[in-house]
Amino acid sequence: MRIVLLGMNHRTAPLDLRERLAVDDPAPVLQKLVACDEIDEAVLISTCNRVEVVVVTRSYDAARLRLRSIFARELASDSIEVSTSELDACLYEHVDGDAMRHVLRVASSLDSMVVGEPQILGQTKDACRVATECGAAGPILGRLFQHAFATAKRVRSETRIAERPVSVARVAVDLARQIFENLADKQALLIGAGEMIELALESLRKHGLESIRVANRTPERAQELAARFGATAHGLDGLTELIAEVDVVLISIGGDDPILTVELLERALASRWGRPLFVIDIGVPRNADPAINELDPVYLYDIDDLASLARKNADERQREGVLAESIIEEQHQRFEGWLTALRAIPTIKHLRERVESIRVDELERALRRIPLDDDQREAVEALTKSIVNKILHAPVSKLRREAEHEEGIVYLEAARALFGLDDETSDEE
Amino acid sequence: MSIHLHQLAAALYLLAGLVAWTGMALRSARLERGSVWLLAGAALAHLGAFATLHSLEPPPPLTDLPAAVSFMACAGTIFFLAMLRRLRLDGLTVLVAPAAFVGAFFAALQLPEAEPAVVAGSGSWPHAHVLLASMGLAFLGVSGMAGMLFLAEHRRIKAKRPIDAGFPLPTLEALDLANRVSLAVGFPLLTLGVIAGMIWVQKSQGVVWSGSVHEIWSVIAWTVYAVLAGARFGASQGSRQAAASAVGGFAFLCFAVIGVGLLT
Repeated sequence: MRIVLLGMNHRTAPLDLRERLAVDDPAPVLQKLVACDEIDEAVLISTCNRVEVVVVTRSYDAARLRLRSIFARELASDSIEVSTSELDACLYEHVDGDAMRHVLRVASSLDSMVVGEPQILGQTKDACRVATECGAAGPILGRLFQHAFATAKRVRSETRIAERPVSVARVAVDLARQIFENLADKQALLIGAGEMIELALESLRKHGLESIRVANRTPERAQELAARFGATAHGLDGLTELIAEVDVVLISIGGDDPILTVELLERALASRWGRPLFVIDIGVPRNADPAINELDPVYLYDIDDLASLARKNADERQREGVLAESIIEEQHQRFEGWLTALRAIPTIKHLRERVESIRVDELERALRRIPLDDDQREAVEALTKSIVNKILHAPVSKLRREAEHEEGIVYLEAARALFGLDDETSDEE
Repeated sequence: MSIHLHQLAAALYLLAGLVAWTGMALRSARLERGSVWLLAGAALAHLGAFATLHSLEPPPPLTDLPAAVSFMACAGTIFFLAMLRRLRLDGLTVLVAPAAFVGAFFAALQLPEAEPAVVAGSGSWPHAHVLLASMGLAFLGVSGMAGMLFLAEHRRIKAKRPIDAGFPLPTLEALDLANRVSLAVGFPLLTLGVIAGMIWVQKSQGVVWSGSVHEIWSVIAWTVYAVLAGARFGASQGSRQAAASAVGGFAFLCFAVIGVGLLT
C-alpha cells in the first residue's frame, strides 16, 4: 500500500494551464479514479494556485500512469488533451512520506503563494469533504487529511506565521487599527484613484469603515468613484474642510507637486481638537509632503513605507516557517507511526483467532469428559476467556506499541514465528 | 489578616506584572490576558485587605501614608479594570501591575508598624478626605500610565517601526480616551477630597488653613491637576501634549504626595 501525490502549483505551472485544469466539481473524477482496480482511495485539491490528486494504491506504477492520464485528458476544461511535454514540465510527484508531508504543508499554508494565508485550509477541508461524500476517501486518506487539519491548527497556534499582514492594503488596515479603536465610526477621504488605493479602501471597508468621501480634480470621475463606493463626491477646492472632518485620508492623484502640504494640514488640524489623522499616500510621485508627518496628530505612510513593512512581515513569516517545518516533521512522524502500526493489525487479529480456537477446542474436549450444569459451564467459559485475555494483553499491547516504529517489524516476525502464524497472516498482508 | 491579604495582593500584582512583561517579550496574547486575570485577583485580595481593616472597631481612618498609598494602588487598579470593560487597554497592564505592586508592597512593609492617627472629634471627614483624594490621585496615575504608553506607541507609529501583532498594545485612540476619562473622573474626586480635608482641619483645629506642609502640597497638587484638566478640556490640547502633560503631572504628584510624605 502506497500513497502517491501528483500535481502542479503556482511555482511549477503557468496560470493559464492551472486555469484549464482547475476542477469545479471533483466528485466525478474521484469516482472514476476509485473505480480503477489499482486505486483504493483518492482526494483532489483544486484551487486557483494548485491542482493535486493524492491516492492510496497497491500498484504504484499503474496508479502513476492513471494519474498522468487523468491530468492529460480528464481535467482539461476545454477537453483538449494537455501535451506530455507540457505536463512533464509542470507536474511534480511525491510518494509515501513525501506525499504525506506535502499534504501537511499544503493544509498548513506553507506551500502557498502567500505563506500563512488562511483560505487554503478551508479549500483542503472542502476537498476532503467532497472525497468522503462520494466515497473516494477511505480510512487512510481520511485520517491523513484529519491529521493535516490538526497540523494546520498547531502551526497557526504555535507559530506567528499568519499574524503579520504581507499585502500593502492589509498593512494599511493594521496601521489604522493601531491608531483607531473602532473603524466603524470613522470617516475616510479618498483623493484620486488607482488599483492600489482602491484595494486599501476595500480592506478598510471590510474592517468596518463605512463613511467614505471621494474627492477628485474632475467632478465626473469623483461621481463615478462615489457611486462605486456608496460615497459622497467632492472637488479638490474644499479639501481643508474635508480633511478637518475625516479620520483617514487615502491619496493617489497625478501631479508633480504635493497636494497635502503642511500649510493645508495645519489649517485643517486647527478645528480637529487634536484627533489623529492617518494619511496613506500611494501616489508616485508622492502627493503628501513628508513634513506633514512631523505634525503631532498626523501619521503619514507612503507606498514605500507600506511596502517596506509588508516585506519585513513577509521575512518574519519566512522565519516562522522554519518553526512550522519542525511541527510538520513531528506531525509527519506521528502519522507514519499510525500508518506503520496498521501492519500489526493482521498479526494481532490472527494471534487472537489462533488462541481463541485453542481455547474453544480444549474447552470442548474437557467438557465432554466432565459433566457440568449450565451455570458451571458458563463459569468455566468465563474463566478460560479471562485467562486468555490476560495472557494476551501484554504481548498485544507491546506489538501495537512497537509496530509504530520501523524496528517493530522484529516483534511482529517474532510473534508470527512463536505462535506459528506465518501461513495464516501472509495472505492478508 | 489584613497584612496577610496585603502581602497576597502585592505578590499577585508582582506576578501580574511579570506575566505581562513576559507576554510582551514573547509577544503572547495569552499571557497578556492571563496578566489581566491575575491583576483582577490581586485587586480582589487588596479589597479584602481593606475590608478586613475596616471591620476593626473603630475603623482606622487610613490617614497614614502607607495605608493611603495602598488604597491609591487598589483604587487605581479597580478603575483600570473597570475601563477594560469598554476599552481594549489590556496591554497597559505592563505599567499598572508594577505600579500597584509598589503601592501594595510599600503598605505591606509599613502597615504593621503604622501608628493609628489621632483624629478624635473629626467624624468621617478624615475618611472622606483620604478616600476621595486617594482615588483622585490614583486616577491621575492611570492617566499618566496611559500617557506613557501613548507616547511610546506614538513614537513607534511615527517612526514607522513594524507592528508587533503578537501582543496587541492598546490603540492610540483607546489610550487617549483612558487619559481623558481618568482626568474627567479624577479631578472632581481630588477637589472633593481637598474640600473634605479642609473641613477636617477646621473641625479638629478650628481653622480652615493651618499652613502645614501637607496642606501646602495638597493645594499645589490640586493646582497642577486643575491645570492639566483645564488644558485638556478647556484649551483643546492635542493627544500627544495631553499624554506628555499627564506623565509630567503624575511624576510631580508622586513627588508631592509620596516624596513629601516620606520627607516630613
